[in-house]
Amino acid sequence: MNLYEYEAKQLFAEGGIPVPPSARITKPEDLAKVHLGWPVILKCQVMSGGRGKAGGIQKVKTLEEGKEVAKKLLAMTIKDSKTESLLVEPIVNFKKEIYLAVTIDRERGCPIFIAAADGGMEIESNPNVQTVAITYPFHPYQGRALAHQLGLKGAVFAKVADIAAKLYLLFEKYDLDLAEINPLFVTEGDDVIAGDGKITINDDAMGRQKKFDGWQDKHLVDLPVRERRSKKEGLNLVELDGNIGIICNGAGLTMATMDMVKKFGGNPGNFLDAGGGSDQEKTLTAIEIVHDNPNCDVILLNILGGITACDEVAAALVEFMKRHPNRKMIVRLRGNNQDKAEKMLAESGLKLYPDIEDAVKAAVEAAKTKQPVGAR
Amino acid sequence: MILLDKNTKVVVQGATGKMGGAHTKRMIEYGTKIVAGVTPGKGGTQVHGLPVYDSVKEAVEKTGATCSVIFVPPYGSLDAGFEAVDAGIELIVLITEGIPPQDTAKLVAHVKANNVKMVGPNCPGVITPGESLVGILPGSIFKPGKTGMVSRSGTLTYEIALALTEAGIGQSTCVGIGGDPVKGTGYQEPLQMFSDDPNTEVIVMIGEIGGTAEEEAAEFIKKNVKKPVIGFIAGVTAPPGKRMGHAGAIISGGKGTAESKMKSFEANGIKVAMTPKEVAKLVGESLKTPVKA
Repeated sequence: MNLYEYEAKQLFAEGGIPVPPSARITKPEDLAKVHLGWPVILKCQVMSGGRGKAGGIQKVKTLEEGKEVAKKLLAMTIKDSKTESLLVEPIVNFKKEIYLAVTIDRERGCPIFIAAADGGMEIESNPNVQTVAITYPFHPYQGRALAHQLGLKGAVFAKVADIAAKLYLLFEKYDLDLAEINPLFVTEGDDVIAGDGKITINDDAMGRQKKFDGWQDKHLVDLPVRERRSKKEGLNLVELDGNIGIICNGAGLTMATMDMVKKFGGNPGNFLDAGGGSDQEKTLTAIEIVHDNPNCDVILLNILGGITACDEVAAALVEFMKRHPNRKMIVRLRGNNQDKAEKMLAESGLKLYPDIEDAVKAAVEAAKTKQPVGAR
Repeated sequence: MILLDKNTKVVVQGATGKMGGAHTKRMIEYGTKIVAGVTPGKGGTQVHGLPVYDSVKEAVEKTGATCSVIFVPPYGSLDAGFEAVDAGIELIVLITEGIPPQDTAKLVAHVKANNVKMVGPNCPGVITPGESLVGILPGSIFKPGKTGMVSRSGTLTYEIALALTEAGIGQSTCVGIGGDPVKGTGYQEPLQMFSDDPNTEVIVMIGEIGGTAEEEAAEFIKKNVKKPVIGFIAGVTAPPGKRMGHAGAIISGGKGTAESKMKSFEANGIKVAMTPKEVAKLVGESLKTPVKA
């Protein structure tokens, strides 16, 4: 789950990382209650990146100008992310911008610091990027090792090292996937202040991070409606632009099935991993979600049972076909209780394909010909 | 065969739970030498005819087990893994899905510091067909033979094993290393073991998008593995940019697409299959006694 900038900065402040004074407004007239002096910066609170380039950050000199600009900003949608509120901050006069982040390095299998002394522009290709692998248990010297690698000296060395250590402690405490300060300002007076923040909380840790209980609804707003619904149901959906809906158990098999649909001349309409051990109810929900996609002409269900029992899946299919008898459905089931499943499906007029390639080819064919129900 | 054989003594952490119990039964039926279950507070009871102990240490002392398969819930897995390492277990197979990655990172550091092997988390486990199955793989799909498999995926591994078995090609050992970004065992260790294993002739490596483990493994294979390797990558049609954090992109440095992995395979002498059946075909051609699939 991603946080908005203002929420990230609240966490920074809680962790002892300096942030600028600020106020958050949801209506233009609330700007009158903000006492930060003039000029100020108004920043759209959105989930998407590229906010500055899109015009989502504006400097205003007076209250009158501010109200007018705030009205426009509050109505903005940046890359599908609707402005949630505005963060109002005074202007920070800086002489230097640093990029600082903590994340998990999957190849090294440990958390790492990532930083650049010349800021976060083009960070992916910046040759000056420094990384430090974090070892357990964490001690603050690891933050100093990073500050040293960045070539910092004196007061700024000590402040950046301290902020890095505090950022790591937040990263560990709240099970974050990413804690990023970009930019980290160094002022003329050698103060070091977090200018912007991005925080991602690990989805698997949400069950034990009680601070964020109930936050999900507000923070999944930018997902397409069916992807949001899937996430709540514990299903993993990504929608694509093709017309063959795909449901499988297991991420690798789902991707491989999409690839085969493409290879045999079709276009996958989605990725939906129903997970291992999905029961009847969860399978039915998965099929209903794909069915609701208006671009989907055919549904291809490919289940290879390890944990999943075929008859549970078949029961879900029987129920689904009762509700939607006109849906074109291609079913490949293989594994535990396959024979039982085959009999159940026959009664609903569905053919069972034991072979994955036959099923994929049948789905591609059904998507082309617009033939009627049943797809025999 | 690697990692497991019919003599490997296995304890099950979480054997009295719903999932752990069901799979304990299936592993016993397959012929795996399961010697005990471990559930704190249930010591002295039995599960599927096996003794249950309160701690892994006690189970190891009483049974001489060297392998532990873990079925405990996600937030208990770090503790369970540490317990197994500290009890002297040599091979941990961590099945649990949904462990927060920082817990896994802490466990991986402890495992490495103690020279223990860990497969997983979020993995289907390991099978040496006809000898031992540790995990949740469907045993009936596999058959003994000379093809080694290493994979990040669960059900896709079953699909490819099924294609091999249906073509008459058996497997020496299949290792599901798991789909999490942080894990105990990557590709290289099993690849080296298969390379050294006299019973393995051909190796199948199954990958998917994300990270650069496949690219690194491909270079490793060129340098170290003297047996034919067949590669399969899932996710050619997966859209870019999903769930990729800003800081994450920096480490991958533009790598991580299926195309990049396939190119890397081809550049390092690994034949790339586009479907599970094609995997079987290419393996069949590479065996010392070719099999037509």
